[in-house]
Amino acid sequence: MARIEIDGVSRRYKNMSPGAKAVDHLSLDIKDNEFFVLFGPAGAGKTTTLKLIAGIEFPDEGLVKIGGEIVNLIEPLYRNVSMVFENYALYPHLSVYDNIAFPMRSPLYKKDEGYIKQAVEKVVKMMKIDGLYERKPSQLSNGQRQRVAIGRCLVREPKVFLMDEPLAHLDAKLRHFMRGELKEMQSAFNTTTIYVTHDFMEAMSLADRIAVMNNGKIEQLGTSLQMYYTPVNEFVARLFGEPEINIFPAALKSENGTLTLTALGQEAPLVPEADAAQALREAGATALDIGMRGVDVSFSLAPQDSSWIRGTIYAFEPIGNKVIMTADVNGEKIRIAAPNSTSADLDDAVYLKFNMKDALFFNGDTKTFITRSEIEKYQGGK
Amino acid sequence: MSRLILKNVYKRYDNAEKKLFGKKKAQNDFAVKDLSFECPDNSFIGILGPSGCGKSTTLRMIAGLEEITGGGIFIDNVRINNLLPKDRNIGLAFEDYALYPPLTVYDNLAFNLRAKKTPKDKIKAAIDKVAPLLKVDELLHMKPSALSGGQKQRVNIARAIVRQPGLLLLDEPLSHLDGKMRQTLRQEIKRMHRDIRCTTIIVTHDQIEAMSLADVIIIMKDGELQQMGTPLEVYDSPVNEFVAGFIGEPPMNLLRSLIVKQEAGFFFTFTGSDLRVKVPEPYATLVSDGKRVTLGVRPVDVLITNADSSTPAPVAVYENFGDERRVSVRVGAEHLNITTMENVTYKPGDTIRLDFNSEKTHLFDPETGKVIK
Repeated sequence: MARIEIDGVSRRYKNMSPGAKAVDHLSLDIKDNEFFVLFGPAGAGKTTTLKLIAGIEFPDEGLVKIGGEIVNLIEPLYRNVSMVFENYALYPHLSVYDNIAFPMRSPLYKKDEGYIKQAVEKVVKMMKIDGLYERKPSQLSNGQRQRVAIGRCLVREPKVFLMDEPLAHLDAKLRHFMRGELKEMQSAFNTTTIYVTHDFMEAMSLADRIAVMNNGKIEQLGTSLQMYYTPVNEFVARLFGEPEINIFPAALKSENGTLTLTALGQEAPLVPEADAAQALREAGATALDIGMRGVDVSFSLAPQDSSWIRGTIYAFEPIGNKVIMTADVNGEKIRIAAPNSTSADLDDAVYLKFNMKDALFFNGDTKTFITRSEIEKYQGGK
Repeated sequence: MSRLILKNVYKRYDNAEKKLFGKKKAQNDFAVKDLSFECPDNSFIGILGPSGCGKSTTLRMIAGLEEITGGGIFIDNVRINNLLPKDRNIGLAFEDYALYPPLTVYDNLAFNLRAKKTPKDKIKAAIDKVAPLLKVDELLHMKPSALSGGQKQRVNIARAIVRQPGLLLLDEPLSHLDGKMRQTLRQEIKRMHRDIRCTTIIVTHDQIEAMSLADVIIIMKDGELQQMGTPLEVYDSPVNEFVAGFIGEPPMNLLRSLIVKQEAGFFFTFTGSDLRVKVPEPYATLVSDGKRVTLGVRPVDVLITNADSSTPAPVAVYENFGDERRVSVRVGAEHLNITTMENVTYKPGDTIRLDFNSEKTHLFDPETGKVIK
């Protein structure tokens, strides 16, 4: 129940190469009650940021504010933040009730048992684990353990709730299941939550807003759909979606006022939508990269006319509900999400057509986003 | 280039230590039980299962690294039970690369051929042929310490095939690699197999790896073969609840259900939930009023509909991943998950009606787990 402000914060570890920082002049303004996700590859500075808020690390420079109050010099104990760990760290010898009541009985809070009972009852109802009071952690399923761990964090009504990759150690199936559980109970949290993950599905599913981090800095801040439809650069574009987005260079030519793109060694040009073409003309970039998601590529195994792009099948990977097909088009690999009924052999011919409505255009030199069709609709968020 | 047959193969480890410490282990504790299958010439077979299912033991018996307790293993109709590993004409690559650190990549690849006193020019010819297949031709002069994990595994696999084995065995070759490298190498292993046409067996616990590489998948559990089939067969027609739940991501919904007959036909009902969903027409002959089944339906085969094929269900979770959307409804203590490519938006609490794909619904016996057909 607090706004969190991070203002020009840097943190460097001793063993880092000269000039490198784990967190580099980072500024963030996280709203009261927001579910905020820090997302990025390993070493991006996500966990360090979380630790700076918790008070486990102290910033070299900059300010950390919780609820408007500067907490740089406040010990973690007195910050009223709560953290849930990857392995839940429940006390194995205590019952569910005692596990949840534990923080309230600590010397700092020392509530009377009547108050504790009320608080625990409220939390177990919220987490839907009432009826499990007497059980020990070993008698619980994974989902129930997670609920108890979260309940224990929420029981003392922290100002800030921090979660560091709580699902990362689970196998794919269980992770899927736990993400759904977490998503469902999320609305009950009623506190500002900061969640660290490197899994794009967790980020997209849970976040009100996401900060994509890389090298201690923020690459992009926004909703999951803004990231997916209008990533600020190729780095962000590649982080969202499975299979990974296809990004290939294109040459841009303007003849008699019409703008054409040639790419992948094709004679037939790719024609951008009118609004995207207009924006490209205004941007004046000469070297372009086109980003095309696998779901936006149509394909045919039967020969098609020259408006289709011919390639050969480089890889063909059935993964159950779909087939990830990789086409080789003049040395460029294009990944396509195909229905699972598709069957083809390696090196067969395949004909592709791009859905230019969903093409993303990047500056070929700086790799930053220029435009896409219907950009206003997507930049709005939802 | 060889045909491999396993006939009623058993494996039991002699747990000498356990006996010593007085822990009585049941005598019939087989690591592999009555395993029979055939790998045709040039095929690519995946042995898939959770840890402890006996898949690596099976591979090690084929390789000759483990004694065979019972049954026979045949390569090209020759019983190899008592052949030494070196005489089985097998190439092996494990998860660990085990390259010789003081030797260059070239010398690593040449090592076994030199041990067999192969002439120099033949060694060179063999390496020149294999190196480009696994994209290690640029690395031949380098030492293993200078290579990345992915490059080391390429060299490791190249070393296994440079001798032109009749059978190539891969034990979790990709599990040490990170996501992207794993995907790249997966594609290249598949292409390599296409080029050299060597009968290959890969052991893995990763269903995506098995599905994308193998022509035929063998799924094992507790030492026993559960199902053998093409990736699409095991995905579309699982023979039991275990296979159904193991294959596919996101996993299949598996829900205990009681069949109830109403005027409109048979309905699935669930403990602790008001939800009723119509049993799709083709399955009506398999069910009866009051029958208990385990319903299996993949998230992509749960359809959101306007028809009255189900009671209205409140949305518990809605997730938008851009490529697809996932919706879950509560069914008792569980979620019923739905994946859709349609660009729909829901808030928690919105009600939807459901229908199950009439060709892709599965019924399992709740006692035995076997599919009801």
